[in-house]
Amino acid sequence: MSGAEPLVRVDHFGMDFGKKNVIRDLSFDIGAGETFGLLGSNGSGKTTTIRALLGIYLPTRGNLQINGRAFRPENGIKLGYLPEERGLYKKESVIDVMVYFGKLKGLSRGAAYKWSIDYLEQVALADKEKISVDKLSSGEQQKIQLGVTIMNNPELLILDEPTKGFDPVNRRLLMNLIDAQKKLGSTVLMVTHQMEEVERLCDRIILLKDGVSRAYGTVEEVQDEFGNIVIHIEHEGRIPPSNKYRIIEEGKSISKLEVTRGMKSAEILQEIIDAGVSVSKFSPMRKSLDDIFVEIYGNDDLKDEG
Amino acid sequence: MLAMPLMIVVIFALIVVSNDNSAKTTKNQKNARFSFEYVDSSGLIDANIVAKLKGSMAPSKEVGISSVKSGKIDAFFAYPSHPSEAPIAVYGKDKGVFENGKYSSVALMILQASVEKKIGSAELTAIDRGGIKSTTITFKDGKVAGGLNALIPSMLFLVVFYIIIILLGNQMLTSTLDEKENRVTEMILTTINPTNLVLGKVISLFVLGVLQMVIFALPIVVGYAFFRSDLHLPNIDFSHLVFDPQQMTLGALMLLGGFALFTGTLVALGAAMPTAKDAGPIFGGLITLIFVPFYIFSLIASAPQALIVQIFSYFPYSAPVTGMLRNGFGTLPLWQGVAVVVELWVLSAIVLRLAVRLFRYGSIEYSRKLSLREIFSA
Repeated sequence: MSGAEPLVRVDHFGMDFGKKNVIRDLSFDIGAGETFGLLGSNGSGKTTTIRALLGIYLPTRGNLQINGRAFRPENGIKLGYLPEERGLYKKESVIDVMVYFGKLKGLSRGAAYKWSIDYLEQVALADKEKISVDKLSSGEQQKIQLGVTIMNNPELLILDEPTKGFDPVNRRLLMNLIDAQKKLGSTVLMVTHQMEEVERLCDRIILLKDGVSRAYGTVEEVQDEFGNIVIHIEHEGRIPPSNKYRIIEEGKSISKLEVTRGMKSAEILQEIIDAGVSVSKFSPMRKSLDDIFVEIYGNDDLKDEG
Repeated sequence: MLAMPLMIVVIFALIVVSNDNSAKTTKNQKNARFSFEYVDSSGLIDANIVAKLKGSMAPSKEVGISSVKSGKIDAFFAYPSHPSEAPIAVYGKDKGVFENGKYSSVALMILQASVEKKIGSAELTAIDRGGIKSTTITFKDGKVAGGLNALIPSMLFLVVFYIIIILLGNQMLTSTLDEKENRVTEMILTTINPTNLVLGKVISLFVLGVLQMVIFALPIVVGYAFFRSDLHLPNIDFSHLVFDPQQMTLGALMLLGGFALFTGTLVALGAAMPTAKDAGPIFGGLITLIFVPFYIFSLIASAPQALIVQIFSYFPYSAPVTGMLRNGFGTLPLWQGVAVVVELWVLSAIVLRLAVRLFRYGSIEYSRKLSLREIFSA
């Protein structure tokens, strides 16, 4: 985690809906400037966690804080939120909707208007400012939705299933916007099932299942936690046995080793070289997040997600 | 928003022009003379009066009718032996539904003028015609009661209540439904506190309602103040109106409490229902409730202690209208008025809290109806 004081802190959070225990006990921190992935299958409590963090739901147990206190819209932190359920005022004009949300986010009317015009030009919708939202195509509406999300240059950007329903063009636009916001210093919390996005964007992740954390840390730490590293090695000479690894395939010049938990690949390479083996290729491979996800959730309900 | 007042101004201008034309037409009709004959079985008709109007006596009823039929004269009147028991028979050339009325007016006027001449006293004639006025002074707690003059100002609160609910009821409902149907609730909830949002909606709707009423009323006030004679409006003496402090205070508090209760309920309904279509039947029922007290209007006015009136006075959704009616009629004792006001304000606070909770939890369940049990278990 970067930064001394976390921007987001979830501490022993629990949430019940009637007798249904949606979140049992969940804790995690997100540092300022970090990009954090909240992962889990459908119904694992991701959206509930986001809503509780944003004060939409009152938590049954525990504390959820942004910037050291429970979130309230009037607390002053600049927030950009792209909810899973998306929408805009469909009968209003594009510019009116954008200016309205800009004003709600604390911008002056003039500033919101100027930002909106610049953004519409940037996403090739400059000629659509006066027409009503329901006259836009689905992809164009998605662009407006993204604009509304980031128009206040948020310190904290929360994206719930950001690429859900997005076409490839807008998916790329979204990724570029997230990158741009990261460069501007925004902290990003994203809920997603897209493991490529997670591997590409997230500094740390947490995986939820049945209302509890199943894995938490950097992508590498989670990969390490869910499977030993396998090393593909091309060599001349016999690989010596060692308690630092297990030889799972042994060939004359190509072998595969499974690293003992806690052992470092570099130490293993050094030990093999010290044993007089000539190494021409040494490739430690981690288990992919996709594989880990499937391992945790089985085939639960991933197929219906983008 | 400006379309409506502009339309009123245009209609107002048309009314002024039309009134001017119709006044000229009425004047012309009044001065118009027509030929007529009559027969008099009562012996009351003064021949001199008839002569001044260029009329004459017909030889018989049959001849008179025949003369009208043939177009020789315009009208014929047959006065019966006892005009107080039998009608005057009037025959005339057809001049259209409205202009035909002049025949019977003239026939009646001739009889009244003839009788007045026989009595020989204008005052006795006036009394005989029933033109007598009376004044009534009543006392309440030892002081002169306002009567009808106190009813009008306090009833204005009821008028305001009806106009606001009818004009804005649907807007109250859709104020939260719009956000739900457009799926923007979550984005709204992260930018504004839900309590502030719901209170803001209630207050802005009230201000909007008052503003609309001012816009509607302005042309009427301007018309009355500056064009009264052109519009032939009666000169109303507002100085007699009585603004009883108790009635005015209770009326205002019941208006505000009733408005908050209905608005809070409609906002809550909008937050709980997935679409306007689903909310429609409950919305219709609520609106009907504000008209229900008029089914017992006579009881409210004359028998305020009747059980049904008491029930309507305290049932939350009929209480504002029943209370304001009784307050206007002066049949709502102070203690009961205070009880109704307290009830309305306390219930409004509860309903508004419920509306906030429903909005917070209910309106993000975008496509589902919610039960109160679910809301309170959240």
